[in-house]
Amino acid sequence: MNEPDRIGLTPLVAQQLDELLTELNPGSDSKKGKVKLIKFDIYRLAVALGIKDNKTPPALNDKSNSVFRVNELDRDRTLFTVVECLDSCPSDVTIYGYIERLAEQGIKEFYEHFQQRGELPLTEYFLDKS
Amino acid sequence: MKLQELTIYNFMPYKGEQKIEFPQHETQNVMLLFGDNMRGKTSFLNSIRWGFYGLALGRHSRKIPRTNLVNSIAASEGDWSMSIILKFTHENRQYELRRQLDKKNHVSIPKNDGDFDESIGLKIDNQVITGDLIVNEINQVSPEEVSRFFLFDGELLQEYENLLLEGDAQGEKIKEHIEQTLGVPALVNGRNEFTSLLKDARRIQTRDAKNSSEAKMHAERQRINETQQLTLEKDIDDLEILQRDVQKQIDDIEDQLKNTEAVQKKKHALDVLKGKRETIEDQLAYDADEQRELFRDSWKDVLFKSVEPIVSNLKTKRDSLFNATKTKAVLDSQITALQKSLDTPICPTCTQTIPQLEMNGIEQKIIGLKAEAELSNVNLDDITTINSQIDKLSKIKSSNEGSRICELVSKQMKSNVNIIKIETELDDIEEEIKGYDTDAIMRQREKKDRLSNQLFKLENDIKETKVSLNKLSDEQAHISALISKTSGSEGKSSTIRVNLYQDLESIFKTGIDELRDALKGQVADYASSAFNELTTEKTYTGLEINKNYGLSIIDQTGSVLKERSAGAEQVVALSLIDGLNKTARKTGPIVMDTPLGRLDPKHRSNVLKYLPKMADQVVLLVHEGEIDPSRDLSNFAERIGARYQIERISATESQIVRSN
Repeated sequence: MNEPDRIGLTPLVAQQLDELLTELNPGSDSKKGKVKLIKFDIYRLAVALGIKDNKTPPALNDKSNSVFRVNELDRDRTLFTVVECLDSCPSDVTIYGYIERLAEQGIKEFYEHFQQRGELPLTEYFLDKS
Repeated sequence: MKLQELTIYNFMPYKGEQKIEFPQHETQNVMLLFGDNMRGKTSFLNSIRWGFYGLALGRHSRKIPRTNLVNSIAASEGDWSMSIILKFTHENRQYELRRQLDKKNHVSIPKNDGDFDESIGLKIDNQVITGDLIVNEINQVSPEEVSRFFLFDGELLQEYENLLLEGDAQGEKIKEHIEQTLGVPALVNGRNEFTSLLKDARRIQTRDAKNSSEAKMHAERQRINETQQLTLEKDIDDLEILQRDVQKQIDDIEDQLKNTEAVQKKKHALDVLKGKRETIEDQLAYDADEQRELFRDSWKDVLFKSVEPIVSNLKTKRDSLFNATKTKAVLDSQITALQKSLDTPICPTCTQTIPQLEMNGIEQKIIGLKAEAELSNVNLDDITTINSQIDKLSKIKSSNEGSRICELVSKQMKSNVNIIKIETELDDIEEEIKGYDTDAIMRQREKKDRLSNQLFKLENDIKETKVSLNKLSDEQAHISALISKTSGSEGKSSTIRVNLYQDLESIFKTGIDELRDALKGQVADYASSAFNELTTEKTYTGLEINKNYGLSIIDQTGSVLKERSAGAEQVVALSLIDGLNKTARKTGPIVMDTPLGRLDPKHRSNVLKYLPKMADQVVLLVHEGEIDPSRDLSNFAERIGARYQIERISATESQIVRSN
């Protein structure tokens, strides 16, 4: 199977990612915060947590929003190699296709958590699961 | 007199009815009322003073207007009534004194004292006392003049240092109070009466002398002298009016500054808290940046933990492939050596031909080794692939981003709790200092400085004018004596009257001096005895009293101690109060507001041990900076009969709660 050049999110989750990014970054008028996150940072964490939890998410129902170049997202193919080595990818799905599914589900969960608690439960992500 | 119960209704910060029972035990005679600054300790003192005398005093002993006495919250709810009920015993009789303030019916919102009706009622052993008798009865129990020394504001202790300054206006005022308490005015008024009579008699004598040719010249001098005296007296009156006016302005400004002092302290506390909040917020922003920095790479930390076992497996696999490769190489080498023996069947050691039987065995061994080598065959591409995977997975490095983020989250939570606490404090302080203008405070300070200079000049002018007046008065006495000696005046009734009043005035003057000396001696003895118990410096021999009732410490060489610490000043002042109290009145309660403000722990301990001995009942209104409940109470725990706490309800409302 040929690996795709681009992957992404469904339009709904892409919008949720935008909202999360706005919430997690300092406001545009803030003089104090200097470090800003980009979409890839959240995307990669969502994938990593999905891998760690050995998730098997469903396929995306809308693939019209494949805007992330695989070469940029996974510059040294780390995500690819890990999925490949773990052999967790279903046989009928490309590895990046699987990574995309993990991201979609992970970001959706991030968004839900944020909506419920007003912040990401980072302690749960890192302390309990790591 | 012994206080039994105080019922406060809507008085100053105390809204509604609050009841306080005073200790009745002979030895457990101390009542403690704890309260922070601005919560209502002085108001409590004032509630007793107002109950007895209808008078509540602010700073500079100025009367607090009635509108300020009614609790502001109750007033805002339309309840303008306020009352104090005092129950006490005196000489085995039971007293119930009730004083009440009510808004006049036709007044909607009272603006001045006249807008209230004040009523007073007294029952002695359940018999109602009527009208003017009430004030007399109260004065029999505790005269108002003495109240300064049993309802005592410790914040005024500092004033007593002024008694040591010769000619100090405030010192003179306190001296006047002291003498009033000790009963000196009875003689002073007598002397003044005779001075006045003497003056009139001299005037008549001068008028009579005009008709005498011998005394005519003296009479003229006396007339001129009298005119000059009248002018100077008028000048002194005017100057004193001006002085009082300037002093009042200074007092007013000091009152405002005193209030703003608290405001400025609060403002300072506000700024410190804001600074703290900013520091925490900066730290939070810095931590948030660090958290985002860690967030960026946290996915690697998560993956690192997932791939650790995979890398380990791959390495094991790679090692077994390497081992297989090595085994195969060894086997191949053995096969080659044996094959060589088959090809050349001569022993390399003994050069003899190898027998066929041996050759068959070698052939069999080669077959076995080849089979074994076949099993150890390794595809080198597999090793390359594994190596590549290990390389890629090993690039995933962790710097424990996850646990560091967790630490930051926990730190952030604590910081946020701190910020909430700070903001609550900020809200409270801002509410308390709302409406104050710091620029106006500066302007008031400058104005006070100008007025103080003016007051200083006025005091000098008054002093100089009084010196001139005294000279004229001496001259008047001298001229009068000359007139008396003239033949025409001798034996005249006006001259006889002058001589009589002169003698009487002189007797009273001597009497005043003798009374003062006797009282001062008594005060000094009592004060010295108190001082010896209060001071921690046992080499001091006692106290010496000056003509203003100022007390100096005498050291072991008998010399006056020149420099005194703030704590020593307070101990001396407390000794003076005790001396005055014991000289002036029978035993009774002492209510002291903030008496320990400037004392170190050892002096505080001495004072706390001594205070219960000062009176039958001692009520101490203190904050926890003066008496630390966990440490200082042990000094006189056995003397505490009741303990109360003033609890803050809001910035303008407090309530008194019994805490033992």
